[in-house]
Amino acid sequence: MTTTHSHLDEELQLLKTDTLNMWKLVRQQLSKGKEALVHHDKDLARQVVAVERRVNAYELKIDRDCENIFALFTPVAIDLRFVLAALKINSNLERIGDIAEGIARFVIDIDKSFDPELLKVSRIVEMFELSDAMLIDASKAYEKEDTKLARTLFKRDEKLDEINGNASHVITDYIKTHPENIRESLHILSMIRKLERVGDQTKNIAEEIIFYLEAKVLKHKDPI
Amino acid sequence: MNPDPAKIHRRKQLSQRLVFALFTLMSAAIVLVLVVILGFIVVRGLPAINWGFLTKMPENGMTEGGIFPAIVGTFCLVLGSMIFAFPIGIMSGIYVNEYTNDGPVKRFMKTMTNNLAGIPSIVFGLFGMALFVNGLHFGDSILAGSLTLGLLVLPVVIRTTEESLKAIDNSFRIGSYALGATKLQTIRRVVLPMALPNIITGLILSIGRISGETAPILFTVAAYFLPKLPHSIFDQVMALPYHLYVISTSGTNIASSRKMAYGTALVLVLIVLALNLLANALRRYFGKKVKMN
Amino acid sequence: MAKDYVKKPKVMAKEVNLYYGDFHALKGITLSMEENHVVALIGPSGCGKSTFLRCFNRMNDLIPNTKVTGLVMVDGKDINDRGMNVDQLRKNIGMVFQKPNPFPKSIFENVAYGLRVNGVSDAKFIAERVERSLVQSALWEEVKDKLKKSAFELSGGQQQRLCIARALAIEPSIVLMDEPASALDPISTAKIEELIYELKSQYTIIIVTHNMQQAGRVSDKTAFFYMGELIEYDDTKIIFTNPKNTRTQNYVTGRFG
Repeated sequence: MTTTHSHLDEELQLLKTDTLNMWKLVRQQLSKGKEALVHHDKDLARQVVAVERRVNAYELKIDRDCENIFALFTPVAIDLRFVLAALKINSNLERIGDIAEGIARFVIDIDKSFDPELLKVSRIVEMFELSDAMLIDASKAYEKEDTKLARTLFKRDEKLDEINGNASHVITDYIKTHPENIRESLHILSMIRKLERVGDQTKNIAEEIIFYLEAKVLKHKDPI
Repeated sequence: MNPDPAKIHRRKQLSQRLVFALFTLMSAAIVLVLVVILGFIVVRGLPAINWGFLTKMPENGMTEGGIFPAIVGTFCLVLGSMIFAFPIGIMSGIYVNEYTNDGPVKRFMKTMTNNLAGIPSIVFGLFGMALFVNGLHFGDSILAGSLTLGLLVLPVVIRTTEESLKAIDNSFRIGSYALGATKLQTIRRVVLPMALPNIITGLILSIGRISGETAPILFTVAAYFLPKLPHSIFDQVMALPYHLYVISTSGTNIASSRKMAYGTALVLVLIVLALNLLANALRRYFGKKVKMN
Repeated sequence: MAKDYVKKPKVMAKEVNLYYGDFHALKGITLSMEENHVVALIGPSGCGKSTFLRCFNRMNDLIPNTKVTGLVMVDGKDINDRGMNVDQLRKNIGMVFQKPNPFPKSIFENVAYGLRVNGVSDAKFIAERVERSLVQSALWEEVKDKLKKSAFELSGGQQQRLCIARALAIEPSIVLMDEPASALDPISTAKIEELIYELKSQYTIIIVTHNMQQAGRVSDKTAFFYMGELIEYDDTKIIFTNPKNTRTQNYVTGRFG
């Protein structure tokens, strides 16, 4: 029996392309958020807020595409898991988009540049880089159907957790020495909390990738 | 009280077997009758048959010699009636099945052909004599005889054609129309080729029937004794069935021509049998050819 | 900016009523179809969808006591007009039936049939067209070495693709399909569906189907018929995700009756 390239395959490929495009957009939002923070570029931050609308539109489109594929093609087996995974990856990406917007709004709220020392001790830039690296690898794992790569993401989330866990102490210590920067310090703490969520979202995405490729449910289990 | 299932089963099986045995017996009886008739004719007729019997004129008051003119006569009559009945019959069969819808016209045609088929053959003979022999002044002739036989067999041809066409699934016609074919093209290129094997079989069987008919030729063509071959369609001829009748009932010496009679009967049976075999062979041949075409 | 224009409809029906004797089979159907679209006609048995399909190549003419009122336009021409040449119309509108119905001829002659009855006799031209049609219907690879063999030797699915090739050979611009896969196994069905999807780029296809998933998979627009009426006609996506009419919803969700 020969396998044919079907109409459904085309639709699934389109869905994948859309998801990857959204992925890229969300990553851009996050890295623009970082740039806006580091250089205190309010214009860039406002841009992030504006582009968030596009992220939302993307989410709606992918939702609609998935709905149509379910309704028109009644996918089964790996096709079904793929569409289910796309649906969930989509909502996780949208949350990450929200996070980028939230960070941008904190930047807009502060009128002077963030204290470089604060940025340094809080390790927030490191968090940005870590979460972006995770997002890149997750998208690679999705694109190349690489479950091994997806599995590495579970460990890498621990580093983000660690920074987040220390953040209260670090920020408290900083505020003690810089009482004039309380507001921006609290904003940085909130951003760290948000960035920690990015790690969780990416982990969720990794679980969906493994679910779709291997039909293994990893949710609420200790990852292998 | 509950009926005993085993008992019911036994009773069912018994009735099954009884009915089956009955059916088998009946079929066997029919085959037996056929075998007896054929055997009888073969045994009695075979000694009479030799080359001379088939190729010579009757001699000595039909007690000796052959039946050559009767064979030729039957052949002429069959051919003549085919030429007359087949085109007309096939065309009206096509008309009835392909060109009329279920309605008064079709019903009328059907009733007429059915009635025509039901008329006793002697009546055809009488009618043939009135119309062809006397009315149209053909005299006792091959022409008059062929036309009469043709009329007799016409309903069979029409019905055969009609039934063969009816057996062709309508989806083939629809499929052809959908490709822009006209009705005529559809009939000629799709329907007729598919129906042909059945039509031909039916036609050949009808030839068998024509060759054995006596009554219609009685007043229209058949000669009591005519030891020469026909020269035109206005000549009289001898014919096998009538010849058989003559030498069995009113010959110059019935007792001494008895052997000749069985010989004639055997030839007639063999002709009909050969036609049936030919019908089968042709059907198989055409069946293959139509698929390949 | 993209030009915002409405394409001229390829096929249009306006207030079409059809009667079989006293039976009112189609009740005031109005809809139009764009070129290179696949339109699915769905609905329960006896809802009039097949009857409506046959309106486009006047196959209802073959059924006695049929009366059609209203307007059926193909390429802007009223096909019920007195001056319309029905054979020519049917040449322009191919049709594929529920049961594969190849003629008892060779594979080659089946595809060539439409050309021959339409007066083409150039052997080279016919051979080329036969090959092209068989390629289009995704059958060429399977039959190219046995074109002289009887069409009856093919499997059901192959026969149906042969019938599609036969319809394509006369270069119609519209192809009508009356439940083309209902007599086929799932694999053959999938092949036919893929074929429909591919043919869309060159033909306008109207397909009657009992299989709702099939309508979803192959069509751009779907028309839902019920008791001789057109209940809803919209993008297939909308019919299958958010139909406006409750009856449509009940039908596509299998809650009918």
